[in-house]
Amino acid sequence: MEIPLLITAFCTLLQVIPYYLNIPVIDSASATMRDWMLLVVNMAVFVGVISLGQVHGKRIQRRGEGWPFSVVLIVFMVAMAIVGFPLEGIGLGFDNAQYLFMFNNILNPLGGTMYSILAFFITSAAYRAFRARNWEAAFVLISGTIVVMSNAPLFTSSMPFLITWKNWIFDVPNTATGRGVMIGAALGAISLAVRTLMGIERGYLRGGGED
Amino acid sequence: MSILDKMQRIDRRYIYLAAWIFVLFPLLNPLGLPVPIGRESRTWYNYIEAIPDDSVIIVSMDYGVSGMPELYPMTVATMHHLWDNCLTRNWKIVVLAFWNQGPLVFDTLLTQIDPAERYNVVYGEHWVELGWVPGSETGMAALATDMWGQTPRDYLEDRPLADLPIMADIRTAEDVDLVISIETGTPGLPEWLRQWNDPFGVPFIVGCIGVSVPGMAPYLASGQLSALMPGLTASGEYELLLNRPGLAVAGLDAVSMSHLLVVLLVLIGNVAYFASRGKEVR
Repeated sequence: MEIPLLITAFCTLLQVIPYYLNIPVIDSASATMRDWMLLVVNMAVFVGVISLGQVHGKRIQRRGEGWPFSVVLIVFMVAMAIVGFPLEGIGLGFDNAQYLFMFNNILNPLGGTMYSILAFFITSAAYRAFRARNWEAAFVLISGTIVVMSNAPLFTSSMPFLITWKNWIFDVPNTATGRGVMIGAALGAISLAVRTLMGIERGYLRGGGED
Repeated sequence: MSILDKMQRIDRRYIYLAAWIFVLFPLLNPLGLPVPIGRESRTWYNYIEAIPDDSVIIVSMDYGVSGMPELYPMTVATMHHLWDNCLTRNWKIVVLAFWNQGPLVFDTLLTQIDPAERYNVVYGEHWVELGWVPGSETGMAALATDMWGQTPRDYLEDRPLADLPIMADIRTAEDVDLVISIETGTPGLPEWLRQWNDPFGVPFIVGCIGVSVPGMAPYLASGQLSALMPGLTASGEYELLLNRPGLAVAGLDAVSMSHLLVVLLVLIGNVAYFASRGKEVR
């Protein structure tokens, strides 16, 4: 038996057992391991910064496609990191005026804009996709249009029955489909976990394939 | 190209322009359309009204700046509702986040509402902000068993939890009576349920963006989720129930007009499609 597989099995069982059994020693070991994991996750943030720097640094060096955007990304990543660094004693940190300015006037509106752009895409996509070319498409068209209309006070104030129709679509077909998808995904996750626990699934050890 | 073909192939740039006009017009000239109160917003309102006295309530800011256009209005309205009842009902409100931008979004809220001035609630006694809890689902699991260990100091004043009277009896998930998660994705409700609802029985209510709503239906049907606030329209209804029209109500006319455009375009596309098919058959 390989050592990495044993470590995987040990760590997995240490997290699974406390979910079903109340054994103080295992509970305590499990909690300690969760703390270790949180430390590793936090350290991974720095790996992400290094990786981002490498990818975009190379693109700038080679003048690859869209390299000016990479310059903007690196400049702002460094600027936000410096002014937001938690050293309140020298005026840095989350309360720093420059940090708050960049957050409120750059990141905040950009984030909202990116999300709001979806409205344009969805409008265009609905126009192209909602066409009753066959019975299946007609069902999607009708149910989709009812849900869209039921979400707008313009329609529901004059046609209150739309809310009842939307509630039925939400409660019956949508819930039934959602349950099916969830149960299927959960069964898949359980089988993957069992395969990993038993050492059959080894892709995570070296990035793909089974020995 | 015939007129019917043109109606089926409207250039997307014209659609974007129309969408822009349809959204902008009601923002500049509010139409004041009537807003019927739906089931979701009423359930949310009633649920918060029925929270027992002396309850400990966690408000989790599980979204970042990109979710603000849709979720920020409901966050503001919910915090008004909670702080307004905090003293009379002796609720203890703990604000935290599993999304790293969550505390920054809440900072924005605190620049607009001063809970001490408006509701006489005392920070550290009636409410507290613990900030970002890293680690996603692992962080949730760790927080459930040891809140003091995971967030040793508060976010706003950087004081040890031992110095905050509100935290004296709040140490694990067993001490929490309700979690209100306002969220855009992962980590979100499924992770919360696995780590807090199943093992500890903590009830949940969730505010989410419109596209997440279908995925929430099974949790509502199973009873694991007690109330759902689905997007901006329901937020506007909730603001009206609170008699506090705000950001969401201001945006409802724009929601109506953008939805009207979608319905008109779908109608145009289908009328042209069936008319052209009829011509081909003849």
